[in-house]
Amino acid sequence: MATAEIDVPAEALPTLAQANDDISRPIYPPSWRYYLLLAICGIGILAGGTAWAIQIRNGIGMTGINNPVSWGVYIVTFVFWVGIAHSGTLISAVLYLVRSGWRTTINRAAEAMTIFAVMTAGLFPLIHLGRVWYFYYLVPYPSTRLLWPNFRSPLVWDMFAIGTYFTISLVFWYLGLIPDLAVLRDKFTGIKKKLYGAFSLGWTGSVRDWAHYRRLYLYLAGIATPLVLSVHSVVSWDFAMGIVPGWHSTIFAPYFVAGAIFSGIAMVITIMIPLRWAFGLEKYITKYHFDNMSKLLLFTSLIVGYAYAIEFFLAWWVNDPIEKESFGWRATGYYALPFWIMVFCNVVVPMSLWFKRTRNNLAALFVVTIFVNIGMWYERFVIIVTSLAHEFEPGGWGIYVPTTTEILIMIGSFAWFFFWFLLFSRTLPVISIAEVKEHLAHEHEHGH
Amino acid sequence: MSGIVAHYDTLGATRDAIERLRDAGHSDFDVFSPFPAPELEEAMGITSSPVRRWALIGGITGFLTATALTGLTSLAYPLVTQGKPILSWPAFFVIMFEMTILFTGLFGFAGVLFHTWRSRRRLSPGYREVFSVDRFGVYLHDAGGKAAELTSMLRETGAVEIEEVAA
Repeated sequence: MATAEIDVPAEALPTLAQANDDISRPIYPPSWRYYLLLAICGIGILAGGTAWAIQIRNGIGMTGINNPVSWGVYIVTFVFWVGIAHSGTLISAVLYLVRSGWRTTINRAAEAMTIFAVMTAGLFPLIHLGRVWYFYYLVPYPSTRLLWPNFRSPLVWDMFAIGTYFTISLVFWYLGLIPDLAVLRDKFTGIKKKLYGAFSLGWTGSVRDWAHYRRLYLYLAGIATPLVLSVHSVVSWDFAMGIVPGWHSTIFAPYFVAGAIFSGIAMVITIMIPLRWAFGLEKYITKYHFDNMSKLLLFTSLIVGYAYAIEFFLAWWVNDPIEKESFGWRATGYYALPFWIMVFCNVVVPMSLWFKRTRNNLAALFVVTIFVNIGMWYERFVIIVTSLAHEFEPGGWGIYVPTTTEILIMIGSFAWFFFWFLLFSRTLPVISIAEVKEHLAHEHEHGH
Repeated sequence: MSGIVAHYDTLGATRDAIERLRDAGHSDFDVFSPFPAPELEEAMGITSSPVRRWALIGGITGFLTATALTGLTSLAYPLVTQGKPILSWPAFFVIMFEMTILFTGLFGFAGVLFHTWRSRRRLSPGYREVFSVDRFGVYLHDAGGKAAELTSMLRETGAVEIEEVAA
């Protein structure tokens, strides 16, 4: 890591012991503000949970989904959260493989975000199911009825993809945490020492153990890279395998993967800006990191914008009247407003990131990422709802409007996600202590 | 039997100490590092880890398990869906791909747990809490009656602190 990346002269670099203290400081008893944030999230979860309970009691008729739009806000929000989950692995695995030093201080929080986002996303197929207790039909087990899941179905692929993604992300995250848990074990006393000690699995930092650790870390990065590409491809096939106009397209897999990385990076920035400020981590997460993430955001925005344009181009080029009608209606019909919100938030607003002034102004960057978060939710809404609402037969066209139940559950999902993130930020190091030390040691030793 | 723990505060000095110890014919020692240091692994002569075998076996197991799961269950209940053949390998490949990755990761993690088990049963008597902060430790399990000689050798390599421990 070059000195420029840290953004401070070499003599001002923190020592290893300082890094140890700085990064583990947030774990000390938090202030009332933290509890206030937790309480706000708690209220959100309660609201969403209550709405879900009412929906389970009264049935799926509590939602606006019906014929022809049978996938609504739940599936939109599911795809949104799976997308958010993508940047964590991208930052930890892909940037690790290409040896991008700047990932070091942001990978831990991004990986945590991945896990909590998958946990949030995973709720939505259950909520959408209505009779949630039939979920086990998806699980392949030798039942007495000799029935097995249909492995040709993209929904079953999806369960395997998301399940694998969650498990591998968790292993990746936990493996990275083990040395840091040992740091906390050595730092604390009493019950905390016992707890962190138990989870650190007796880690001593023996070089022999590091050798095993480093190998597995490399392998996990290696397998997580194709995994991250596969997961959102499989999610996109939930749609593209259907013959619905607006869905049945070969560009869906790369289009969804780019969108996922775009939204994920935006959420990482949205979270990191306040986190860095609240925990005083300016020395570790610098403008350099935000500058790099902004460039990734800009790049993926261009891909997403290109995909939007090419969808319309293909509809025109193929000259299929149903495709042309579907896309024409998407931009000018009943759902024109969501469509143009999507274009504005995902394509127009990120163009401000061409300017270094925007990339280096954290307040402006924060606002841009909020736009992207909103825009990417709308993107999924536009893809899912407008396609279903306007299929082949004019007699089968219809309109879907979300109900309060659906909106409350969606808001509850945000509260649920941030609740877990808040808990994480006060119990575990939000930056990888071992990796920061590795870079600092080399900086000090080579005297940059 | 008594051992020696030497503290170092730089990577370079630790590497020198490892090289000196190995040159003097010692192999019964542990080195503690607060962060991953390929240089130290190299100095200790560690070139690979059996974890790679665990990962490979895991990947093959996952692939075969998924092949068996999708193929055999389709044959056991041969119902034509979506007009596709009973054995629809292109569709099943998605499951095979995901399970290959899943098993590679889980087996690899099991491998790490297995191969670090010795050091996890109880913290090594040569381990000190500073080794998770900013110091490197070299722990010679048994000085074999040459404690004075070894101490002076370790001090020459730049040890900042040396202590004797009962193993």
